[in-house]
Amino acid sequence: MANKLEFRQFWQQVMALTSANMRSRYRNTIAGFLWVVLNPLIMYSVQSFVFRKFLKIEVPNYSLFLLCGLLPWIFVVMSIDMITPVLDSSRELLKSFNISPFVLALAQVFDNFINFLFAFFLVLIPTWGMSDLSFTGIFFIPLALIFLVSGVIGMCFLLSVMQIFFKDVRFITSFVINILFFMTPIFYPVEYVPAEYRFLISYNPIFAMIEPFRYCIYDYDFNVLVFKLFKSGVVSVSFVAIAIIFWKRKRNEFFIKL
Amino acid sequence: MNSLSNSDLILNIEDLHMTFDAELFKTVSLKDRFVRTLTLQGKQVSALHVLKGLNLKLEQGDKIGILGVNGSGKTTLCRLIAGILVPTSGSIALNGECRSIFNTTIGVIPELTGRENAALLVKFIFPRESLAVQAQLLEDALDFSELNEFLDIPFQNYSKGMQARICLSVISAKECDLLILDEVFDGADLFFQEKMRIRISDIIERSGATILVSHSLDQIRSVCNKVLVLDAGKIQFFGDVEKGIKAYRFLDNGLASFRGEL
Repeated sequence: MANKLEFRQFWQQVMALTSANMRSRYRNTIAGFLWVVLNPLIMYSVQSFVFRKFLKIEVPNYSLFLLCGLLPWIFVVMSIDMITPVLDSSRELLKSFNISPFVLALAQVFDNFINFLFAFFLVLIPTWGMSDLSFTGIFFIPLALIFLVSGVIGMCFLLSVMQIFFKDVRFITSFVINILFFMTPIFYPVEYVPAEYRFLISYNPIFAMIEPFRYCIYDYDFNVLVFKLFKSGVVSVSFVAIAIIFWKRKRNEFFIKL
Repeated sequence: MNSLSNSDLILNIEDLHMTFDAELFKTVSLKDRFVRTLTLQGKQVSALHVLKGLNLKLEQGDKIGILGVNGSGKTTLCRLIAGILVPTSGSIALNGECRSIFNTTIGVIPELTGRENAALLVKFIFPRESLAVQAQLLEDALDFSELNEFLDIPFQNYSKGMQARICLSVISAKECDLLILDEVFDGADLFFQEKMRIRISDIIERSGATILVSHSLDQIRSVCNKVLVLDAGKIQFFGDVEKGIKAYRFLDNGLASFRGEL
């Protein structure tokens, strides 16, 4: 097929658009970029204060415990929020040039992922360093990050394509995310959930991709971590596979519906 | 999409059909879909047959003007050739690289400047060129646009004419094997339109083959050496420009009377 791009050319488009997205979002200001770190910090500070002081959650090293779940959660939620409408708002662009919708979605995920990595290394790693917890799990973090970002790419691309077909996907997703926040053990340990309700946690795909970070950083145990990474990998591959199958089946209808 | 062995043949379309489900335009929300499922309203299959068994060969030097009333399948055909859509059945074989443009007043990220948007357009329109060539094409397009100090203000603040200048300058920066221009000449101001017409004519001359969709018969006359008339998803005429324009004009009165004239 003469019109198909090589991976290098596709990658150059993604990188150019990611960089342009970031310039547009922060308008080349330091204050804009500082918000990337300040946003999760403020979220973390408020939640940490409320759950420790008001709800009296007694978890050792609660700050670190909360950060391990909260930062990946913010990445997932912000990605869903930003990427679900991205193809819908780029209808004219997609109709005008032969641009892959995947480039548009991927550039937004990478924009968010770079922000997440900055927050991760500027906030979480120093907090980890100040604790007396083992650093052994750090070697597994790249794998947890790969599974997380791959799963988010698959999930967000799927949602952004669905948004073209159903105009309320964005609102339904937002509603589901609000419910999931309370059903996902981010600000409370999974052990707080009574055994008869644990299945709700086991079937939560977002938590499956977030959980390995907790076992890398806060509660390192090699055997448990390997299992959690495996589960995260399965969820991530499933999201990517579903997105690819959905796209292949709906590609023509997608461009006609634009 | 397949590739061709005959070096003069740029495009070979055989028995091309394009059908899609009319239901696509009915269900607009998950809520609707949910209610329809609950009330046991089954899916009604009502196929829209947009293109019906098209056969077309384009050779080196062909400059085809496509004429047809709205909804005749012109843009669908161009999108299929460009590889954006996949045909329901039939084959499209392309020899070389195809470049297609369907709108000239669009910014990739309108909040960024004209210069930054032009740089992104170069990445999207000329993805196969090296970084050095892309930089050269960008510089050439920006020079040609004559927007000078306006290049550094946000694209969203441009008039339609200025937006068209950016897009048209980038599009016309380099030739290719098959160039598809779908109603892209409009928008720019009169002076720039003339300057652009000369530049696009030059690019068309240097490109392998060109497909131009336009409602302007003067443009078709000045650019094309063949005309294809589409009506209700079928090729009604393919050949000489003046005869093609006549066939297009006869669409209202019925092509039978046109064939009678021939």
